[in-house]
Amino acid sequence: MGLRDVLPGGGTSSVTGGMFGDGSPTFLTSKIDWIINWSRRNSLWPMPFGTACCAIEMMASAASNYDLARFGMERMSFSPRQADVLICAGRVPYKLAPVLRRIWDQMPQPKWCVSMGACASSGGVFDVYSMVQGIDTIIPVDVYVPGCPPRPEGLIYGLMMIQEKIREESLSRHFEHRAEDPSSVARPHANDAQVVGLTGPFGNSTQQEELSNKESGATEEPPEELIP
Amino acid sequence: MTLDETKAGLDAVEEGPHPSERSTGSSDGKIDDPDGHPSVVALLLRFGDSVSGHRVSAGTQHVVWIDSARNLEILHWLRDDQDHQYDMISDITAVDYGAGRPIDVVYQLFSTVHKRALRIRCELPLDGLEIDSIVELWSAANWLEREIYDLFGVTFRKHPDLRRILMPHDYEEGHPLRKDFPLRGRFSRAEQTRRALDQSVEHSYIAEEMDLGRDPQQAAPIIGTKDGDG
Amino acid sequence: MSKRTVEFNVGRNPEMGVDGSVVDSPILPFDMPEPDLGTENMLINIGPQHPATHGVLRLVCELDGETVKRVIPHIGYLHSSFEKLGEYRTWNQIVTLTDRIDYLAPLIYNCAYVMAVEKLMEIEVTERCKVVRVICMEIDRIFSHLLWLGTTAIDVGAFTPFLYAFQERERIYKLHEAFTGARITTSATRVGGMMADLPEGWTDGLQDFIDTFLNTLDEIDRLLTRNQIHIGRSQGVGAISAEEAINSGFTGANLRACGVEYDVRKDQPYYDYETYDFEIPVGKHGDCYDRYLCRMEEMRQSVSLLRQALERLPGGPIDVEDPNISLPSKTDCMSDMESMIHHFKLITEGIPAPEGDCYMAIEGSKGELGMYIVAEEGGTKPVRWRIRPPSFVNLSVLPKLAEEHLVSDLIMINASLDIVLGEIDR
Repeated sequence: MGLRDVLPGGGTSSVTGGMFGDGSPTFLTSKIDWIINWSRRNSLWPMPFGTACCAIEMMASAASNYDLARFGMERMSFSPRQADVLICAGRVPYKLAPVLRRIWDQMPQPKWCVSMGACASSGGVFDVYSMVQGIDTIIPVDVYVPGCPPRPEGLIYGLMMIQEKIREESLSRHFEHRAEDPSSVARPHANDAQVVGLTGPFGNSTQQEELSNKESGATEEPPEELIP
Repeated sequence: MTLDETKAGLDAVEEGPHPSERSTGSSDGKIDDPDGHPSVVALLLRFGDSVSGHRVSAGTQHVVWIDSARNLEILHWLRDDQDHQYDMISDITAVDYGAGRPIDVVYQLFSTVHKRALRIRCELPLDGLEIDSIVELWSAANWLEREIYDLFGVTFRKHPDLRRILMPHDYEEGHPLRKDFPLRGRFSRAEQTRRALDQSVEHSYIAEEMDLGRDPQQAAPIIGTKDGDG
Repeated sequence: MSKRTVEFNVGRNPEMGVDGSVVDSPILPFDMPEPDLGTENMLINIGPQHPATHGVLRLVCELDGETVKRVIPHIGYLHSSFEKLGEYRTWNQIVTLTDRIDYLAPLIYNCAYVMAVEKLMEIEVTERCKVVRVICMEIDRIFSHLLWLGTTAIDVGAFTPFLYAFQERERIYKLHEAFTGARITTSATRVGGMMADLPEGWTDGLQDFIDTFLNTLDEIDRLLTRNQIHIGRSQGVGAISAEEAINSGFTGANLRACGVEYDVRKDQPYYDYETYDFEIPVGKHGDCYDRYLCRMEEMRQSVSLLRQALERLPGGPIDVEDPNISLPSKTDCMSDMESMIHHFKLITEGIPAPEGDCYMAIEGSKGELGMYIVAEEGGTKPVRWRIRPPSFVNLSVLPKLAEEHLVSDLIMINASLDIVLGEIDR
């Protein structure tokens, strides 16, 4: 009797809907979800995959001034087997790519990934023969923290976004959350209209003309179900 | 430098960097005023036939071009002769000027005894990129020469361990710091990613290292070698 | 030349020979015969993802039990091809790249690079600029040594010095930020001067730092220098003789710990270092403990240098007043046609260099940092930009140092070399 038997849509269970109903939240599921998510997000053990300058800012975040211990993250787990969130801090060349992939594979679920810095997110300054142009070509990334290097506050904000993401999780969508199929999780699938809608309220400099042509008050609500 | 050339430099990352056409770079047999640097004077006296040029660069730095076939002999003398005693090799590097010009191997020497620095350059034609290794003179040359081999493709004869150092050992795109090598590499990004992920993480146990743990009496395979799981 | 031999005899291993060589002191009683077991050597892999390798370094070790028979370092896991990127950038654009090479002492790299370019172009910077650059380099020497101290201590198990060192580094981060706007990637220098003059009140902040930093250093000193565990783990470990060290290309505190008095600031002085009053600490045994002592003393000497530099900080312009090299001020550009043309040409084209090559060595925090620049006549981009990284050559000596030591000693030796992978792999 494993998880697959009690969750909806899982495995070959003959009991329709399983213990948790048809996927819509119930009192029981939301309370259990809340407990699980609370315990997960407040005890994340980061796996610091630090390579370059961003690693120094990550160390500074862990030190006394910015103190990651407030979030329960002071136990930097250098063994991927015991880690929850992989913080890839720094540039990743192609020689290091299989190592990163292997470390990610060795981490047990549930796991999340923070791409810290411009180089990890997109290759940064290094559009060169040896540099991976963004680690999301290799592993699925949950949060990108821009900066070169991002300030410790920036990294902390990124980790808080991971915490937010965990807060919204639900056991009934377990397989969705933990899916690693690159075609479905590697990059968000938002079309142009959705991107404009998302960024509209905050101002998106690449679409300035479009926004300024809109009637005031016409900033649309971001569509539902934007990114699974 | 016109505006177009500048722009082309920044945008033209698909090709190699702008080759230096105007640089004389090489010796041309010109000898500048060697006074003020006793080693240059002595070199010209003793190995005059192998010296193909000399220049004073950046105001005070003496650069001597020598015949690349005699680099070991000349550097040996520079290291051991009492008046010169260049006991420290600060740097070994190479310069590719592009456009079919020869590649220069540059030796930067320093004497802690006499507090003097000297730069020696050897020209290598593109179809003969081979020179003797000087690892036997200074062991610092080991990794420095490996790097030149990796990035420029210059072969160092009698080097104890000539293999790639910065790039993966089976890197096939060529020698990156050459002027004809484009900044983004020769393969597409997708191909580079694919090759990177195909690399086995254990493959760095190369042939020499695979023999490391093997006791000649032992027949048992060692984990991580090609006989074992790896 | 002034030097001080650092020697500290408290608790030194009585088994150490007079010349610093380690004498075999077996743990087992001598008369017990070695059992005749069939053994084979073990091949283990440390890294590239490892807390104690100080970056993405991979060490493949052949072990006989716990004794290292052979260790082969593999590098290249951070190769970012700075040197090739430099061939596509103008002289001032390369300054932003230099921060990212040695991210532990970015101002030193910024200064080293523009010093090499200025030497090639035979540009003499202003007196104020010289002193400000000396201040920047000495601050970053402390900055880098503090990180080395923290990480070395944490590698041998001492967590507290790491936190103390990082708290002091935060104060230097604030100084960096006040001056340049960035904590790590400072990009503070330009050919012919600096990106900007020191802001008001910055020297007060620096004075404050100098006055109180030594207290923390003394505290860390109290924790580590006479600590029996630290001494036991570092004395006699990774020793090398002076001749071998010079021949292998060792530089920096590693070389000075072997008794060689080589410091680029004294031997090939630049920026009036010969007029400052400071000593270079020289060790005796060439082991990890001596390297530790040398670097601790270097931090104190840097504080003294900073004090002297602050005292002699002159007024005047910070940039060379040649509009073909330094950007004219914005007010001038907006009012004066010539300045606008100079500004335009400097930004769009860059500074034209003379034909030639130049090797400029400075004393970086890790050793002799050399920048070799080859330029063509009128070139605004380098033909070749070579960085001679001290850590690259220092690391190549690791196999020699770690032979016949234990695995835990290997970690200590690696830490004591003070390497940074960013500059090794470039």
